[in-house]
Amino acid sequence: MDSKHSADRGARRPPIPVKIVIGGGFGVGKTTAVGAISEISPLTTEASITSVAAEIDRTSEMPEKTTTTVALDFGCITVDDELKLYLFGTPGQDRFGFMWQDLVQGALGALVLVDSRRLGDCYPAVDYFERIGLPFVIAVNLFDGRLSHDLDDVRWALAVHEDVPLITVDARARMSVRDALLAVLRRARDRTMLPRI
Amino acid sequence: MTGHPDAGSAEPSDVSLVRPYVMTSGSSQEPRSPIEIEAQVLTSELGLAAAEQLRFELRDIVALCRCTVAVAEVAAALRLHIGVARVLIAELADRGLVTVHRPDGELGTDPGTIERIIRGLEALR
Ligand SMILES: Nc1nc2c(ncn2[C@@H]2O[C@H](COP(=O)(O)OP(=O)(O)OP(=O)(O)O)[C@@H](O)[C@H]2O)c(=O)[nH]1
Ligand SMILES: [Mg+2]
Repeated sequence: MDSKHSADRGARRPPIPVKIVIGGGFGVGKTTAVGAISEISPLTTEASITSVAAEIDRTSEMPEKTTTTVALDFGCITVDDELKLYLFGTPGQDRFGFMWQDLVQGALGALVLVDSRRLGDCYPAVDYFERIGLPFVIAVNLFDGRLSHDLDDVRWALAVHEDVPLITVDARARMSVRDALLAVLRRARDRTMLPRI
Repeated sequence: MTGHPDAGSAEPSDVSLVRPYVMTSGSSQEPRSPIEIEAQVLTSELGLAAAEQLRFELRDIVALCRCTVAVAEVAAALRLHIGVARVLIAELADRGLVTVHRPDGELGTDPGTIERIIRGLEALR
């Protein structure tokens, strides 16, 4: 309506970004899942992960600190006029450091992808999200269309708390990934309600 | 808050509409946390006017952010390490050449917002 570019620019407020983190081991389908639902094809950028051998001590520089450059890929979904959801697929490192801290800072929750043939690969992500108290859901990626273990066995093997949702997903299928993200969001919502009940 | 030391000749007409991200410099002030990778970057009128005088990587960012772009998208599009992109964006923000809209830290735990996102995703086909 307004023909002046500057007025358009001023009136149009940038979207409010929100994010969900997608974690899990190597080759578990993180990039595939982001690509299946993102409205842009997944973009990749380089990020640094700082691993600290001992407990992270903010007051001193630890000599055991090592920085690794990793690929971080992401996509996005426009939720409505104001909200834009970013999905960040995170590298499957076995130790998480500062990059992870600012990756998860302000995140709504996390989706942990699991290959049921290599269950142990998701432990670091599960441990990390548990430790920082970020709501998460575990999704077994059905690589060959079926589970190689029963979901109950998977839960038992992962030893996660019984109210952590455990679902299956086809990382290549848009609606399946959407449902997995919805499970994360419902988990996050329920968690915010909890103290008020 | 609206005064920028490098204001130059352009009129910062739209800068006052949004709160520019201000980098704290020096060690006397409490440092702000690094800009979030999903924060939204938008070139200001000032940035558009100053584009020609900028060194090349800053000029690329100013050109890219004519439409709002996330920090991570800047890094990906310009093939910059995300840490480098952050530093450059912070410098541009400090000079008033871009505005950075940082996510509201409370939103992630606001049930109303989460509900809106749920409805948005449920509407996807
Ligand atoms: N059959 C089948 N193949 C899949 C599925 N999900 C992913 N793949 C394939 O598995 C491989 C790894 O998937 P990616 O999405 O790259 O996994 P990733 O977790 O991003 O891997 P890294 O970033 O290397 O850790 C690719 O060749 C995918 O095409 C699935 O649900 N079914
Ligand atoms: Mg990947």
